[in-house]
Amino acid sequence: MSAFITRRLLFLILVLFGVSVLIFGILMTFSPERRAASYVSSPQQAKDIPNLIQKYGLDDPFYVQYVRWIKEISSGNFGWSLVAARPVWDAFWQYFPVTLELNLFVSPLIVIIGIWLGTYSGIRKDTWFDHLARIFAIIGWSLPTFLFALILLMVFYGYFNALGPGILSDNIHMYVVNNPETFIRYTGMYTIDGLLNGQLEVTFDALKHLVLPVITQVIVVVALLMRIMRSGMIEEMSKDYIMTARAKGADRRTIYIGHARKNALIPVITVAGQLVAFSMEGSIAVEVVFNRQGIGWWLAESAIQLDMPVLMCICLFMGLVFVMTNLIIDILYATIDPRIRLA
Amino acid sequence: MKTEFSLKVMVASLICCVCFFPLIADADVKNPDTFVFASYGTVRTLDPCVAYDTVSRQRILNIYEPLVFFDGSATDKFVPLAAAEVPTVANGGITTDGKTYTFTIRKGIKFQEGGELSPEDVVYSLKRNMIADPDGGPMWMLLEALTGKGSTRDKKGNILPEIFETIDKSIEVKGDKVILHLPKPYPPLMGILAYSSSVVIDKEWAVTKGCWDGKIENAAKYNKPDPGHEPLQKISNGSGAYRMKSWEPSNQFIFDRFDGYWGPKPALKTAIFKYVKEWSTRKLMLQNGDADRVMVDNPYVPEVKAMKGLKFYKVPQLSITTACLCQNIETRGNSDIGSGKLDGKGIPPNFFSDINVRKAFLHAFDRKLYAEDVFDNMVIMPTSPNIEGLAYHKENVPVYDFDLAKSAEFMKKAWGGKVWEKGFEMVVTYNTGNEMREAAAQMMVENIMSLNRKFKIETRSVDWKDYLVKYRAFMFPIFIIGWGADYADPHNFVYTYMHSQGVYGRYMAYQNDEIDKLCDAGIDTANPAKRDIIYTKLQKLWYEEAIAVPLYQQIEIRAYRDYVHGYVPNPMFNQEWENLKMMSKK
Repeated sequence: MSAFITRRLLFLILVLFGVSVLIFGILMTFSPERRAASYVSSPQQAKDIPNLIQKYGLDDPFYVQYVRWIKEISSGNFGWSLVAARPVWDAFWQYFPVTLELNLFVSPLIVIIGIWLGTYSGIRKDTWFDHLARIFAIIGWSLPTFLFALILLMVFYGYFNALGPGILSDNIHMYVVNNPETFIRYTGMYTIDGLLNGQLEVTFDALKHLVLPVITQVIVVVALLMRIMRSGMIEEMSKDYIMTARAKGADRRTIYIGHARKNALIPVITVAGQLVAFSMEGSIAVEVVFNRQGIGWWLAESAIQLDMPVLMCICLFMGLVFVMTNLIIDILYATIDPRIRLA
Repeated sequence: MKTEFSLKVMVASLICCVCFFPLIADADVKNPDTFVFASYGTVRTLDPCVAYDTVSRQRILNIYEPLVFFDGSATDKFVPLAAAEVPTVANGGITTDGKTYTFTIRKGIKFQEGGELSPEDVVYSLKRNMIADPDGGPMWMLLEALTGKGSTRDKKGNILPEIFETIDKSIEVKGDKVILHLPKPYPPLMGILAYSSSVVIDKEWAVTKGCWDGKIENAAKYNKPDPGHEPLQKISNGSGAYRMKSWEPSNQFIFDRFDGYWGPKPALKTAIFKYVKEWSTRKLMLQNGDADRVMVDNPYVPEVKAMKGLKFYKVPQLSITTACLCQNIETRGNSDIGSGKLDGKGIPPNFFSDINVRKAFLHAFDRKLYAEDVFDNMVIMPTSPNIEGLAYHKENVPVYDFDLAKSAEFMKKAWGGKVWEKGFEMVVTYNTGNEMREAAAQMMVENIMSLNRKFKIETRSVDWKDYLVKYRAFMFPIFIIGWGADYADPHNFVYTYMHSQGVYGRYMAYQNDEIDKLCDAGIDTANPAKRDIIYTKLQKLWYEEAIAVPLYQQIEIRAYRDYVHGYVPNPMFNQEWENLKMMSKK
């Protein structure tokens, strides 16, 4: 096992190198003028584009610029984010906790609800429960996230004036801002920091602001997991070993949960892992509509404004997340199904 | 079973109470001492020498104070802030030759981090900002006025000889007075001194934070800081009515009242400027009273007008958008001009050098219909770059009315009749997402194409940053672009559009020696009578030369909750602007 993990971690370096060359190469297809234009926003400032090209060596050959960038990040300098008006590293730690906090609530819910719904839909195939669950899945999967988020916001915030956008209410946020000594932001996630600081009203307020984003994300994403779980269950239920178990008089719980679900979980773990990894990139729609500026929003804005240091940083981060997720998935495979060996 | 049901009801009730509690909350003014504004503008820097965007300027001008500021809605009248009075020729503050300005500095002004504002601080601030002169920054204005040079560096980026010494000599302290020496009269100077790049910073504090050390021999070290590495990028210490409480980039910026402010105590204790990108979210915040004002873009004005409990202000902007006609289009790799020849499949690079073509395009733009359809008549239709609101603007100047017969007539004359005979193909571009420019492009294009079947024009949207790069590379036959005032003087607009070295004049490849001389003469004299003659003549020449198609001068709509008071419209500032010390909620 340890040899496998070591090998995968070494592989990570190669992946990150590949990702960085690829993204850097793609960004180099933009002309030096276009990349320099990222630093200006108005025609008044545009006159300095040639100076900016010269200053940052934007017309140097690809390898010169790449080596320069590698040197900078080796010394811990990830560059300056124009979008965030902060060094990339600082900005990352501002936006990442926002995305992570949402995912801490969304991911377990997606996995639990997806597996539960899929399992019971599979067991009760072609019953009213199965039909309802499938309709729910189709609606959830086909509903545009942006539209669904807006509908929820308009109903709950617009009509009932409850569950507003943002991360915290103004009065709670002012309390946090006014008391930097007593309210320490250990994690950047208010639900957790509230608990760690013993300020339950902060946690409660942050949770209130998470309700709609979490519902949106869960409903939209859970459908995929549910469908895979359902198919897996139906397939497993038709296999001989289930018939044997039935013939031997095993109880339904042992058959469904102990045998069928366990085996049906393998493809689900792959998809769930990818979904969790993918969600670290943030959901642009959820972050924009509910005004929670996280990684998704940052990435989208940076792509629009061609904020190169940010694009490079997030792509590397996502490469890291996906490699680590795959590693965890492989380990989980072996745990769930002893027939699978990690070599 | 019953117990389980009761438990479910209790949980459901609890959730409802938690979620919908605000339904029964007080609907009166929320947080009477806090002002909340939701917008999509982001702050780039708090350093006055770098800030050249309206959002950063708003923050700076509420934290710091310049010597003078605009008097209410006026753009040419000023009130003193750090200065004890506004210098004029009448009070002896400005010499009759317009080359020396003397400011008496107000006493008793305190900085937010402690220390008192002195004349030395004023001199240091102006010099420090000019010495720093970052790329893409606003310092060209003050440099042009005080040194006669628009930059501390030449086109290759090398520091100009003696420039720092010239800066040093241009400002001096005499007792409680600060004296500015200009190489020649510069009429817009007072407006430039009201800009965020002219605010006063505490010298002692600034030096400890890594700003220029005050020694002119070391000035070069502090020139051209890297973007984001300017020392005052995220810290502040002004003498304004508000101080920065916190700044979470792209999230919110919080102001806190500065109790040591020298002037009347502002009514609001706190102001929160929130970043809310999505319009629907902003609208709901305004509707629920969670925001006292939100950024309203033109397409959403009807939605806001239908809402209750709001009051509205119309604010004409000192800005203009025009369709610029390029007379020397780049041919290499440029598909926008087709074959690059007048063969019916393209246009030659100098297509617009024929005045008949330009006049044909001007007559093909239906100004009346455009104002009605696109702006619901809530717009000023400009006649020249010397727009309404600027000095020496003339109302009754001729314009090219919409007249397709005349347009056809000019097209028939163009290029000795070849244009009409062979036709042409080209592409007109506008920047992506700008519906007003898109509508203008389509209207003009359709009208031109209706003249002759052989005229084929497409419209295409281009990302804004690409647009900035490409118009400067002469890639667009027509580029639709706007200009907002740096200072409220016709020179800022007329030079930009009409001078051969102006920001747009240059990229239209337009050259007219008479116009160049008039533009230069307009800024070289402080004599109002002479300037009136010059700018009247330039307006006339704009019409006669048919340089470009003036499209619109925007009127912005501001929507406040009706319990917010104190806003004073000023055309120098767009929707991002808020002068907090004037505001109150009751």
